[in-house]
Amino acid sequence: MIHLSRRSVLRGSVYLAATGTLAKPFIAKAAAKTAVVWMNQGFIPQEDAAFKKVAEDYMKASGNTLDYSIMPFMAQNQKTISALTSGDVPDLVFMDAPSSIIPQNAWDDKIVDVSDVVAPYESQLADSAKLCSTFYNKATKQRSYYLCPVKQGATPFHIWGDLVEKAGLKISEIPKDWNGVWSYLKQAQAPLRAKGMRKLYACGLQITTVGPNDGNNVFTHFLIANGGENIVTSDGKLHTDDPVVREAAIKSVEFMTGLYKEGVVPPEALSWNDADDNNGYHEKLFMMDFDGTLSTELALIKDKQAFYHDMVTLAPINKNDGSPMKTQVGTGGGFIPKGAQNIEVAKDFMKYFMQPEVMNENLKGGLGRWVPAIPSLVKSDPFWLQSDMPCLKPYVEEAVLNPTLPVYEGFTPAWGQANAEQLWGQAHADVIKNGMKPADAIDKAFKRCNEIFARVET
Amino acid sequence: MSATQQALAVGRATAAHRPRRSTWFGGLHGADYAWAIAFALPYIAIFFAFVLYPICYGVYLGSDPALYRDLFADPRYLTAVVNTLLYVGIGVNVKMFLAFLLSGFFMRKSWWTKSLLVVFILPWATPALPAYISIHWFLNGQWGMLNNVLYLLFGIDGPVYLNDRWLGLAGNIGAYIWKTLPFWTIILLAGRMAVPTELYEAAEVDGATGLRRFAHITVPMMASLYLVCTLLDMVFALGDFNATFFVSGGGPAMSTEVLATLGIRYAFTVALPRLGVAAVMSALPLLIPLVIMLMRRLRMSEGQL
Repeated sequence: MIHLSRRSVLRGSVYLAATGTLAKPFIAKAAAKTAVVWMNQGFIPQEDAAFKKVAEDYMKASGNTLDYSIMPFMAQNQKTISALTSGDVPDLVFMDAPSSIIPQNAWDDKIVDVSDVVAPYESQLADSAKLCSTFYNKATKQRSYYLCPVKQGATPFHIWGDLVEKAGLKISEIPKDWNGVWSYLKQAQAPLRAKGMRKLYACGLQITTVGPNDGNNVFTHFLIANGGENIVTSDGKLHTDDPVVREAAIKSVEFMTGLYKEGVVPPEALSWNDADDNNGYHEKLFMMDFDGTLSTELALIKDKQAFYHDMVTLAPINKNDGSPMKTQVGTGGGFIPKGAQNIEVAKDFMKYFMQPEVMNENLKGGLGRWVPAIPSLVKSDPFWLQSDMPCLKPYVEEAVLNPTLPVYEGFTPAWGQANAEQLWGQAHADVIKNGMKPADAIDKAFKRCNEIFARVET
Repeated sequence: MSATQQALAVGRATAAHRPRRSTWFGGLHGADYAWAIAFALPYIAIFFAFVLYPICYGVYLGSDPALYRDLFADPRYLTAVVNTLLYVGIGVNVKMFLAFLLSGFFMRKSWWTKSLLVVFILPWATPALPAYISIHWFLNGQWGMLNNVLYLLFGIDGPVYLNDRWLGLAGNIGAYIWKTLPFWTIILLAGRMAVPTELYEAAEVDGATGLRRFAHITVPMMASLYLVCTLLDMVFALGDFNATFFVSGGGPAMSTEVLATLGIRYAFTVALPRLGVAAVMSALPLLIPLVIMLMRRLRMSEGQL
């Protein structure tokens, strides 16, 4: 029988603690071919299944192990920022929308340069994907690839076609210019209300002051449609002093607040969050919405009537001056935090993932909610432009074939901060609630925007 | 001396003569002392790992004075400070007063009161997120239940609650009160049940009824517990994120943001976690005195309600 004395217990505890501490490096060494991967959950289950398939196929092909976790986007966002702050990081973070995390952390030199991973595919990538994957590093004083781009997403119009017809209008008659789309569709409200839809609104315009993302995205598209796309240039400089940009911003606020004041936008839109417009649209509380990716349509994929017949997806066509509209696209993919234990496997996995055929199959598996970062894929595979899903063709045309711009967050982290302060939503609220003139509201927003950019640039 | 005063005096005397522990090691010696240390070590390690380390790390993250310059330069910060004070001041005090009144109501012994108590506890038992998201939709100006009921009953369209700063803030405070009122009511109900019935009986002998018994027995006996609960809830409310984030979302135009939501916004929307920590740390001048008061109160009220 073992005799337990005070000394033996204390001595045993010390041995156990020492063994645990000393054994740790050997455990890590034994798992040298294992990479920890954090992946964000898709909007539809098919996206998760598609990622798992890529991971499993890679493990079979390489003999390496991926210890991957799939988690909701917000949780992954918080976990990743916490990890980058504490230094206890995974080997690879795979994210659909990393534009709120990478710019600041690339700037702070906390992410691994992945130019060597991207290089073999660089010539095939879309320009916007390249611009969304390169970021400025304050330590090295140059831009470089910090994201391995795989997917892109754009923002189309989502319209209840059956309501348009019920109102006596026609989808085919929707004008091509940006403001024309809104002006035409807003006419549907009166006849629909006359037919008993007492609380229906024509336009689900995300004019929100709450955010976090949708309101900024909608305003930016108005700005581009009015000729203000150079508000931030690829060198990260802000151009609020450019009269063309100022004029475009004023026109945007004027038009957006005008729709609101006319009563064709739900009054609550000023305080919507990013999910409120989706929920309202699905409940047919308003007739159209302008919101990122095809998640709006895919959420109703089981409702055959709605998905195949009633909903119409429309790509913006022209700016207000008649020139082709450039919609903004965001890019998703993988990035490697500095301090990762297994950079070699993480890079190897991303090299595998960026192969055109792997990328294509993965995104097809996700039902095309995201389009490939390599544009030639949508032309070579009939899935993209000849699909029986009516929403896919216009979306692919918008995100891949039509002119696009990268989201400004890729140019500088300051834009992300300006958006986080909801400067544009605040400008709308200043006009709607505080009676300010659009020009004054924009000057106020620009002043604050200049302060934010000045702070980041110093 | 009346019967009531005699009864109260007995309670005070018992508390006054409680012997103080004077030895540092709790009277342990030799092997007993070593064993005690060995058994305490895991708890000490957990305390260091999960309490002390996170606090020190938070202090470290928020220690750069430049963060506070950025913070004070942000126009939303002052609004968030004012909102936090209103949220804590109104939310906690209104709730504790209501809880105190309701705890008296639930002292009734009828079966329907007990049944009602079960229903009353439900908001507290409901998970916070769906509950607050439901309130967000409940308050929706166009399609929310509140305005629809107003329209059905009176034919009027109610306001768009979440488009107005003060209505939005009231919505957040109301939601916080609704969610946590049952918990504090139960705590105060337990406190009321612990008041010796002899005191009420003695007061009855002295001829005191109704309001007098409430003023001279219930209030003094419950005062300490009420204060401790209020201080504790103030600490909770200062760090509460859910009600504001899910009911008003900090809107309109960030005008209902509190320090907890502003900190999270900095940390995870803008990816500036240090600034987020600084925003939350700036509540320490209020938080630390509250905790000290709470500790002092707990020590002083040992052996009382």
